[in-house]
Amino acid sequence: MHSTIVRAQNVFGFFTTVAFVVAALIAASDLTVPRAPKAEVTANSVQVVKGRPHYYSTKKEEYAVIRFTMSADLSSLFTWNTKQVFVWVSASWPNATSTDGELSNEAVIWDSIITNPSADHLMNIGPAAMKKLVKSAKGKSIDPKRGILALKNQKPKYQITAPTGKLAETNDVVLKVHYNVQPWVGVLTWTPQIEFLGWKKLKGGVSKAFALPAIKKKETAEKKA
Amino acid sequence: MADQILDQIRDVAEGQIDFEGQRFTEFLSTALLSLVGALSFIIGFIKQDIKLALMIGLGGTALTMFIIVPPWPFFNRHPVKWLPAGGVDKSSSEGITVDGKVVG
Repeated sequence: MHSTIVRAQNVFGFFTTVAFVVAALIAASDLTVPRAPKAEVTANSVQVVKGRPHYYSTKKEEYAVIRFTMSADLSSLFTWNTKQVFVWVSASWPNATSTDGELSNEAVIWDSIITNPSADHLMNIGPAAMKKLVKSAKGKSIDPKRGILALKNQKPKYQITAPTGKLAETNDVVLKVHYNVQPWVGVLTWTPQIEFLGWKKLKGGVSKAFALPAIKKKETAEKKA
Repeated sequence: MADQILDQIRDVAEGQIDFEGQRFTEFLSTALLSLVGALSFIIGFIKQDIKLALMIGLGGTALTMFIIVPPWPFFNRHPVKWLPAGGVDKSSSEGITVDGKVVG
């Protein structure tokens, strides 16, 4: 501590230790907040159409378009250490070649990023939408209300297909809700498979099994006929 | 002349403080940084605001740097009292003794 440089080095050195300890405490503080998320999801209108994976493709595949209704309460996932929560809905169905139903296919049909107000500036949206988003939580450091989702007859973001390209008349398809909590400091946590301290499993979040219909006939062809 | 100026600049840049000051800065830097860390966590947790915690942590560290790093006169209040040079008696401290005779 005898000269300026040594003092600067010592202060900075101990600062890094303090920063690490505080970060560890913040990460650990997540465990003190109970999580009890719940979700309900049901498939609405389901159709299967023929399409191409991209414009120049000669291969025709079957795509399922699954509209769904979801109500979810993920508000307990939002604490001071939450940066953003990623929510997604997937459709899964048993593999036709497996007899015990162990192997299954799963494809995402819809997803969304929900930011905590502390991370609003990271959203990749236009200036007008950004202004609206920031304004929606003005003066709030956390906004658990953003975790309450109510989607009615939501159009899927992604039309799904299977590696075989065949998807029509598939039975036992279920929709599942998943989430991923991304904290400012600490580990990422996904939809839990086990209960841990105050962190409960996602209540509900799986729809009733439904069947995909046969391929929808082209309307234009009907008109010509 | 130039040497004197250079020496002065070197002294200012080096910023030495006395032994008591060194002990005190050691204690003060540890205490201040620990306090800042504790405050940033506690206030952030109570207010549920991670940006506030970050700002308290960084601001407090900047303040600590400002207090500790420059050689404030406060850290130089106990200058070392050196013994007179070479174990020479006070009685013969005037002049230089060579072969038992006082020269100069």
